[in-house]
Amino acid sequence: MPEARWDVIVIGGGVVGCAVTRRFALAGAKTLLLERGRDILSGASKANSAILHTGFDAPPGSLEVACMQAGYKEYLDIHARLNLPMLKTAALVVAWTEEQLAQLDGIVSKAHENGVDDARQISRKDLLSREDGLSKTALGAVEVPREYVIDPWSAPLAYLKQAVRAGAGYQFDTEIKSGAFDGEYWHLDTGQQRFSGRLVINCTGTNGDNIEHICRKPGFEIRPRKGQFLVYDKSASALINSIILPVPTATTKGVVLTKTIFGNLLLGPTAEEQQDRNVATVEREMLEGLIATGTEMLPGLAGHSVTATYAGLRPATQFKDYQISAEPGKNWIGVNGIRSTGLTAALGIAAFVEKLCSETYSDIADFRPAPIPDWPVMPVLAEHGKRAYQQGDGTEIVCHCERVTRGEIEAALDESDVPARSLGGLRRRTRVMMGRCNGFYCSARVAELTQGRISPPLAGHKKDQT
Amino acid sequence: MSSFDIDVAIVGSGPSGIAAATALSQAGFKDIVVYEREADIGGIPRHTHHPSFGLRVFKRPMSGPKFIAALVRRCPDVRFETSTTITALRPGGVLELANATGLQTIRARHIILATGARETPRHGRLVPGLRPQGVITTGALQQFIYSAKLRPFERPVIVGTELVSFSALWTLRHAGIKPVAMIETGPRISAYRPATLLAKAMGVPIHYNTEITDISGIETLTQITTLTRGNKTAAIPCDGLIFSGCFTGENTIAAASHLCLNPSNRIPLVDQNWITSDSAVSVIGNATHPADMGDQCYLEGIKAGAYVAQLLAGNIAMDKAFAEIRHGDGIKMTTPSILRSDNFGDPLFDLSFHVTAPFKGTVCISHGEQVIYEEPRNCLPTRRITLRNIPFQAGHPIDLSLIGKSDVIA
Repeated sequence: MPEARWDVIVIGGGVVGCAVTRRFALAGAKTLLLERGRDILSGASKANSAILHTGFDAPPGSLEVACMQAGYKEYLDIHARLNLPMLKTAALVVAWTEEQLAQLDGIVSKAHENGVDDARQISRKDLLSREDGLSKTALGAVEVPREYVIDPWSAPLAYLKQAVRAGAGYQFDTEIKSGAFDGEYWHLDTGQQRFSGRLVINCTGTNGDNIEHICRKPGFEIRPRKGQFLVYDKSASALINSIILPVPTATTKGVVLTKTIFGNLLLGPTAEEQQDRNVATVEREMLEGLIATGTEMLPGLAGHSVTATYAGLRPATQFKDYQISAEPGKNWIGVNGIRSTGLTAALGIAAFVEKLCSETYSDIADFRPAPIPDWPVMPVLAEHGKRAYQQGDGTEIVCHCERVTRGEIEAALDESDVPARSLGGLRRRTRVMMGRCNGFYCSARVAELTQGRISPPLAGHKKDQT
Repeated sequence: MSSFDIDVAIVGSGPSGIAAATALSQAGFKDIVVYEREADIGGIPRHTHHPSFGLRVFKRPMSGPKFIAALVRRCPDVRFETSTTITALRPGGVLELANATGLQTIRARHIILATGARETPRHGRLVPGLRPQGVITTGALQQFIYSAKLRPFERPVIVGTELVSFSALWTLRHAGIKPVAMIETGPRISAYRPATLLAKAMGVPIHYNTEITDISGIETLTQITTLTRGNKTAAIPCDGLIFSGCFTGENTIAAASHLCLNPSNRIPLVDQNWITSDSAVSVIGNATHPADMGDQCYLEGIKAGAYVAQLLAGNIAMDKAFAEIRHGDGIKMTTPSILRSDNFGDPLFDLSFHVTAPFKGTVCISHGEQVIYEEPRNCLPTRRITLRNIPFQAGHPIDLSLIGKSDVIA
């Protein structure tokens, strides 16, 4: 069989890879996304705080703030057409000490410098009247009205779905080990399979420097930073109205309290340097520390139960800013060091990369005319939206905690663009088993519904397998 | 009153829900509906197949499904609506419900929440490590084996030694799956000691004074790491991990409603007749005292249903105000949690509670300065302790305290 030849191969199906794939597919490039995990969002992108940032506290003049603000704007432009949710919560940067209170001025100035003109300092009284659940030890805050909460999993899936409808391909379980450039095409190799494309875009996150070595010596090294999070039960969500941010320090943005789009309350992250790029464990002491911090800020949290704990790795480098560059003459663009702002910035990064491509490789960038975009309509998973069970989709609720219907599960398995092929993929597409009971009520039923459809299966291991 | 759709809506078809329906039906109420969100009625016993039911109600041991079938035969006139989820409870006897056709609202003269309990899973316990597949609870295990007839793993470890942990063992034995070990943080099993015989018969070691310090496996579980007595680390290869016991009330509907909750555990307040802060709503069964045996829940449901029947018949004048039952350290929850006076029944009440750690000493109840009950007791967590015939005075809070040492029973 002749080897398929692609205009663009995107390595890495995180939020950035999905957005880049979408951008090039919509531009008319024959684009292929390769992901080593079983689904998109298998790495850093599956664990974040799901906030759409204005970029108010990003380094002024940085590529990061430019991409965040372009990404923010494009998300606002397109989210309704993709049926992606957004919760207009605003954020409050809360000062808990006199020292932090004195820093609020600077935070407002920086926000204004970044074009976030509506950021302003509010008094302790205003703060506590807006957030009466906060500890009375709060001293004041900066209000950032346009910080919002979004769905961190449906957004990238929508990007890839739209790309697929524009002709893009994707393949999971595909880890690129090596590659060679013949002057016109890159030939990427997994050891078993070869993929050829004119332009390679490296969006591999925590593996970014290793993949970069296929083309060139990377000018950075990935220094994974682990963040642990706790998701509280939906009952806790009403304890706050806005996203509660701390005053950042030199090393970390600190612990955030935010509603999730699914109606839970999220507390985290920690910021821990680690060597391992692939695994992120949760640790009891750190989780207990987060609970103590969260309960100090929001005393009403005590007594609410924890639904989930998770940890993610942010692909930090030794540099503050993103590391995005093209290698002239080698048809390679590296998109690296996208630390914790990737969800917001992804669409902006994609636009920046497209521009970089046309500036660097004018011969490649002459793609065939773009198709008219088809806009996939994402299922409603947001707590404030009209969910399938509320509309009555003719099927029963399978997951009671998250109120996921059988119809929703079957749709995620059956759909033709990017169907769920793993439990993680199904959970992120439907919310099934994501609730407070961790599958006590529904996991056996989900095992039945997914038999032969997901890998690894939920049940039915043969005895000789280990 | 014509604005009510039905007399009584019961939420949950486990033993206590069926019992309340039975009592109301026997009292002559016709318009009772039991709502069940699963496709089949029965609650937890539906997938609990060992003969730990029926001894008190039918004087013989029965499996969960047989117990439920026998209970249902006692209330032939009760209507069950399955695959129907209650999504909200509102003042005025209003329930919002969802089924395959969407949402609707119904209004009942009285609502009984009998939503049961579930085990606290891995995340709620803050267990460290990675998050692979294969980490489940006993409830899920039972449904895998008995309902779906699927094997989730071949070499699991059971976490906990409560009665339900041995139920997990029983279920595994039925499926021909041999667990690698049972793990207990304390120095003895939480269930009654003879339960260890089942583990012994199956050749399953119980590791005491042991906690999990790591869960390994990217996609599927490969091993756990344990720490015994704070100094001995061991790796246990396994492909499944069953978090058993550590029950918590499934109070989602109540907690999201107007009902008053105990702020420390978010369990709805109920009085000695299972009436909540809203006199048109009862909460019965394991939702407020996770978790007692099915028979106990059934007998409780019968009493609670009979009380509601009297209430609806207009035979009871009940105080709106209630007094709290306060409790000190070492006590997880009490049932009832409030006291309310009425013109019906006994001024004495029974007080049940659960401790947070093993305790040996004196259990004391006082009205202010006056001690009204005092008795030496040995208390173990996960066991219900009931103090009977406690007197109370309308409007006066009472205090329950433990005088002695916790953690002393080895």
